[in-house]
Amino acid sequence: MPVRVAEISAPSQVSGTISRHTSPPACTLLSVGQAFSGTQNVSSIQKEEAWRVNVRIQGCDLEHGYLCGTMEALNVPMADTPIVVTFWEGEIVDTKNYTFFTGKWDASPEDDKRHWTKFPSFLPLLSQVEIDGGKSLDLSNCPYIFMRWKEQYFVNVGTDCGLTIAGFYYVCFSCSDGSINGFYYDPNSSPFQKLELKSTNEGRSGFSFSSYELQ
Amino acid sequence: MPSATVNSRRPIELLSRLASDEPEVKVRALREVKNQIIGNRTKKLSFLKLGAVPAVAGILADSADDVMDSNCDNNNVNNILVQSATVLGSFACGFDAGVQAVLDAGAFLNLLRLLSNSNEKVVDAGARALRMIYQSKLAPKYDFLQRKNMEFLISLLNSENENVSGLGASIITHSCKTSLEQKALFDAGILRKLDSLLEGGSLSQRDASLESIAAIFKNNPEVISKFAGPEIGRPLSSVIDLVKDRYPRTRLLACMCLIVIRNTSPHFLQDLGIKTTLIHILLELLDDPGQVGYEAPFAFSSLIAQREDIQKLALEANAIDKLHHHLQKGPLHPRHYEGILLALADMCSKLESCRSKFLSLQVLNLVTDALTDNSADVRTAACICLKSVTRSIKVAALGAICNVVVDFTTRKSIFIQCGGIKQLVELAKSMESAVRSNALWALKNFVFLADNRLKEDVFSELTASMLSSLICDPEPCVQEQALALVRNLVDGYINSIEFVFAEDGLILGAIGRQLQSSSKAEIGIQGMYALCNVASGNEFHKEAVMHQLFPQTGDKNQSYMIKFLLSNDSQLRTATVWTIVNLTCPSSPGASGRLEKLRNAGIVSQLKNMVNDSCVDVKLRVRTVLGQSMGFGDN
Repeated sequence: MPVRVAEISAPSQVSGTISRHTSPPACTLLSVGQAFSGTQNVSSIQKEEAWRVNVRIQGCDLEHGYLCGTMEALNVPMADTPIVVTFWEGEIVDTKNYTFFTGKWDASPEDDKRHWTKFPSFLPLLSQVEIDGGKSLDLSNCPYIFMRWKEQYFVNVGTDCGLTIAGFYYVCFSCSDGSINGFYYDPNSSPFQKLELKSTNEGRSGFSFSSYELQ
Repeated sequence: MPSATVNSRRPIELLSRLASDEPEVKVRALREVKNQIIGNRTKKLSFLKLGAVPAVAGILADSADDVMDSNCDNNNVNNILVQSATVLGSFACGFDAGVQAVLDAGAFLNLLRLLSNSNEKVVDAGARALRMIYQSKLAPKYDFLQRKNMEFLISLLNSENENVSGLGASIITHSCKTSLEQKALFDAGILRKLDSLLEGGSLSQRDASLESIAAIFKNNPEVISKFAGPEIGRPLSSVIDLVKDRYPRTRLLACMCLIVIRNTSPHFLQDLGIKTTLIHILLELLDDPGQVGYEAPFAFSSLIAQREDIQKLALEANAIDKLHHHLQKGPLHPRHYEGILLALADMCSKLESCRSKFLSLQVLNLVTDALTDNSADVRTAACICLKSVTRSIKVAALGAICNVVVDFTTRKSIFIQCGGIKQLVELAKSMESAVRSNALWALKNFVFLADNRLKEDVFSELTASMLSSLICDPEPCVQEQALALVRNLVDGYINSIEFVFAEDGLILGAIGRQLQSSSKAEIGIQGMYALCNVASGNEFHKEAVMHQLFPQTGDKNQSYMIKFLLSNDSQLRTATVWTIVNLTCPSSPGASGRLEKLRNAGIVSQLKNMVNDSCVDVKLRVRTVLGQSMGFGDN
């Protein structure tokens, strides 16, 4: 389908002056304190490498499409230390604050489409996204939340630990079971490194939720 | 004529000369008093204590009567009137005790009488003195709703004498408070008059008019739309022009007037250009030495408060850098200091980008310095600023991370070592419910994701009995925070569930009782999540929760679970369904038995009605439960 170039280059940040209830639904599994655990792996022709990853949401501001948290990587190949902790900040694709087009971090609209389409749950949205970045989509009933996560700092190691945080993750979160799938994008790293996480119960049989509020 | 000796200038000497019968002596004494007190607060106070004001007021009163007497030498009388009025005006200038003394001495009416005097200088002196009085909050209230008073006011505004018309404007600025008064002034055509003074008046008249116009518009959208109505922009255009006037005070007052209009009727002045102009002018006025520079940040705050769009524009205009620059310049006049701190607080109240900028410029140090300033207003402003900046989610998150990664000497343990927990627990016993509630709030945030050691420290300080009585506190806001604190205590490491079982399950019982009796959604939400968290434990925990939810077997009363599931509050419905998810979690041996109980209580059928709940979160959890229940064989 021919696509107007002007629309495709729309930046990812949209000024949200009109209040529309089209943002993705709030989900208790994606809230402050929630933890996820799984793996990140690199698949190449030569080998497959994987390491354990633990993520915890540390902050959440749905109105501004913002969240942040920590990511712990255990036994990453070629890392100096067994555990590497980073702090990341996320953009929620809510068509109000952010659209499917990144508009920064060296990611072109083509890169964006290439990555989002790797999530099966994104496919129904593809045609609208090609037209206007998804700005007119109503995500309020969508049981998936799409985000970009960008690691900002190393927390427990120096920048010379042998790892890079130059790229970012395209993330798809499932509201029904809290599972997270992601693809790491960095023009200078192996492509399509996959992140697969599940909501953890940390030894419990069921789900547990904390409360943290700023006055 | 004997030459004045040094001694004859002492206040007591002067006062005795005021009592002289000789007009020339009186006049000279009045002049001397005037020269001594002008701009000198200490002198004003000492003269005040000696009873100077009643003395001068008495002179004014006598002379005002003398004007009637055609035998008198008008020249002398006029001199005395001018000097005594000037002295009284000076006492009242910027000095509330002086204003009070002048009013108490009954001089007000006599000063008003001067306004109808035939001598221009007398009128002028009277008007000036009255303007000084009207700058103070203590000035008498002017009743605009009386027709005679309105006519008098109009006559003042129509006067050629700028002090007299300025007085008219000052009276409006000081006394116009209610919408009824604003409407009366509008109906009497006062706004048109003030607007004409904006265009054709002197500097002093323009400034006074700007203040009066703002007072008439304040919080009254009706008056604004009537005035700016059909000719939108035209009457306002004179105000808008004055924003770029060459006099700083005029610019400031014009900005303040536009801000009043914008805050009262936001659809006016939506133009981006105006917003940007206001921001730039006010930031520039920060540099102005003196009163204008001190008041500019307060005006800036009123422009940006609660308005994200303007805060964003201000950020782009480098507002934070400029405010930072002023803090660096120090030492600052307290009023200036306070204003800058409050402006920073407003800038950082909503936007992460502003807080990031603030933190990156390292303004924080300068603000914490202000915590120890001599002025209470400055210290308060510093606290407000810090509170605004630390509302940053990112800052809070980074603080929490600090705790996870750095094992030794974390901020939390320092807090404990300094007795912080003990203090908070003490505050949780306060007579004031707001204090109890806030102390619990702080404790709740403190134990969020905290390790078990920390939670144990907090719990042993609080005790199970105190926490359970706080759950049953008379005030709902306290109950809510207590329940939220328990919720956080039992989250995390699975053993922390044991807290609610301490002392024979005191806390668990309190939660159950509170959920039974409360009708507020917030209480239900926190209490339900506390139970939800307990129900994510082992068999024993889950059964204990069931016991709270269904206290008596064979009880015909509907469990509050049904009430919560039917609630309009989606968060309450969510919390309740999560609890059911946990109770029927298939990995637990007793799950099918619990499911049976839930079915018998009508809960499963209620859930089936919620399969298409309007809240996606609720809908998904309901489907999870029903999915889990199908695994037990029956539908």
